[in-house]
Amino acid sequence: MSQPVLQVKDLKTQFFTDDGVVQAVDGVSFDLNPGETLGIVGESGCGKSVTALSILRLVQEPGRIVNGQILFKGDDIVTMSDEEVREIRGKDIAMIFQDPLSSLNPVLTVGFQIEEAIEAHGKVPGKTALSRTVALLKQVRIPAAESRVHDYPHQFSGGMRQRAMIAMGLANSPSILIADEPTTALDVTVQAQILELLRDLNRDLKTAIILITHNMGVVASLCTRVLVMYAGRVVEQGPVEQIFKDPQHPYTWSLLQSIPRLDSDRHDRLLSIEGFPPDLIRPPRGCRFHPRCQFKIDRCLHDDPPLLNVGPDQDAACWVTMRRALASNGERRG
Amino acid sequence: MADRTPLLRAENVVKHFPAGLGASVKAVENVSLEIYPGETVGLVGESGCGKSTLGRLITQLLPVTSGNIFFDGVDLTKLRGEKLRQYRRQLQMIFQDPYSSLDPRMTVGDIIAEPLENFGLLRGRAKDQRVQELLKIVGLNPYFNNRYPHEFSGGQRQRIGIARALALRPKLIVADEPISALDVSIQAQIINLMEDLQKEFQLTYLFIAHDLSVVRHISDRVMVMYLGKIVEVADSVEIYRNPRHPYTKALLSAIPIPDPEVQSKRRIVALAGEIPSPVNPPSGCRFHTRCPIAQLPTPCADQEPPLEEKARYHRAACFFSEKVPVAV
Repeated sequence: MSQPVLQVKDLKTQFFTDDGVVQAVDGVSFDLNPGETLGIVGESGCGKSVTALSILRLVQEPGRIVNGQILFKGDDIVTMSDEEVREIRGKDIAMIFQDPLSSLNPVLTVGFQIEEAIEAHGKVPGKTALSRTVALLKQVRIPAAESRVHDYPHQFSGGMRQRAMIAMGLANSPSILIADEPTTALDVTVQAQILELLRDLNRDLKTAIILITHNMGVVASLCTRVLVMYAGRVVEQGPVEQIFKDPQHPYTWSLLQSIPRLDSDRHDRLLSIEGFPPDLIRPPRGCRFHPRCQFKIDRCLHDDPPLLNVGPDQDAACWVTMRRALASNGERRG
Repeated sequence: MADRTPLLRAENVVKHFPAGLGASVKAVENVSLEIYPGETVGLVGESGCGKSTLGRLITQLLPVTSGNIFFDGVDLTKLRGEKLRQYRRQLQMIFQDPYSSLDPRMTVGDIIAEPLENFGLLRGRAKDQRVQELLKIVGLNPYFNNRYPHEFSGGQRQRIGIARALALRPKLIVADEPISALDVSIQAQIINLMEDLQKEFQLTYLFIAHDLSVVRHISDRVMVMYLGKIVEVADSVEIYRNPRHPYTKALLSAIPIPDPEVQSKRRIVALAGEIPSPVNPPSGCRFHTRCPIAQLPTPCADQEPPLEEKARYHRAACFFSEKVPVAV
């Protein structure tokens, strides 16, 4: 096993609002290995984006990292000076966002903005920067890169803008690329192109990818490992095949049962998870999912379950786990 | 299907929007369709294909540029004023964004009662009772009628929008991306609710969405739109198993299936480029610029393929529909 390129340990990020303290990320830990593709999946407000922003120390006021370590190649990003973090941002760890239009400056050419990213981490002669930019645009499969490099963002389509953002992210050959809902604003055929591009870049450049998404299908098509988040916590994690085939946390299980599948001929009623995610100023006692969980036992109401090993390389934070829940359901029915 | 009388029939419907300098956006171009009583028809396509515009033409929220829309045998495009208004009662809409489609200054009770008042149907206690009944029907607490939209979550707001649409006991509901703004765990709640309501009130749905897996789940039949045209219509199981238009095939293959084992074996039909501008749509078949099986220039770039029957109840607009590879 190689040394992880990133280790997040007991990360807590909170927002100090007038209504109270929002526990947006509450004790998240995970490792990212070099060249790995890790998916962080969950609904809005589960803390997946705040986790990503915390890694680059981009959380804005009134948010603050209040606990934990984020070790990049052994150095703790949480305690670094602003100067040191700026060195890492864009150079070692790059990030792309959902909406490429608002991430690009409309009055500067796409090429100029990518050159800026290259020059932010060391002087490069103008000609080299331009040819490197064209090469990057070719790498992300922008047609006619030599001329399109002089285009403004509005002259690019949505899919091309996201490609340009990926090119900018790759400008300094980072070891980690964090992609926060990179395909959510795009049409499905364009989404498929972007996912394919990310898959190829991961294979060819060995860049580790953290993909933040709410879409289980997107995780299934790109990632090798997945963290499932709910209400600020990691509720389950493991290899994708394992998690999709044999989910052990009732939240993961329910989520997979609640989405219609294109390849299913049966018209079964979808499983619906009743209620909605909790208020993170006053999260429920015990397991945070228990108010919506159909398999809860008394212990879940007051005792907060830790992540426990439940299968090969698979952890779930649940006192019951689906194996037991489904077995006892079978008994009752049998 | 074919022996029944359609509840709604659109004939050669065209919608052009002026785009300045004499140009126009050809949002919907010569679309004909039928919707039968009690069925759910899914309308899918990518952004800009004209599916929302078509939904608004059908509910007469937008006037057609040309063409006819028959509802229960009456041509809505010929009606004006009070007559049209009376027909509108039977055609309601559910919108995508439950945040912007509800007036934040009105109570939920007033929002749901508004259509009843507009048509002078119920007053006083009878009206309040109907509002509470509607709240109950969509799974909300009937005593929430004095609350404001901001006090509700996205899923609850969508339920309020549905209650409002049901208030006038419509026959046809056009739902425009009703779940795409909702969280995954909430989407199933709304889909199940819509299915329950359909059974209970014999509703007919036109379900507009970009997500083919949701559309396939809820629909009896699916229509696929591309750049203002319907390119394929079939039964929802059939269209998945046996797509007869290369665009449908590409769209299906692009949707990731939430199962890594299945997903890793699938082949994506990559489309070149992106959707062309509807101001200047390509000649001939509008899909020819991105089509993997187009024969150029003849016939695909110079003739327009008609939407014709390729199998029983299965229509597609493609000259080479037999060449579209089967299944995913």
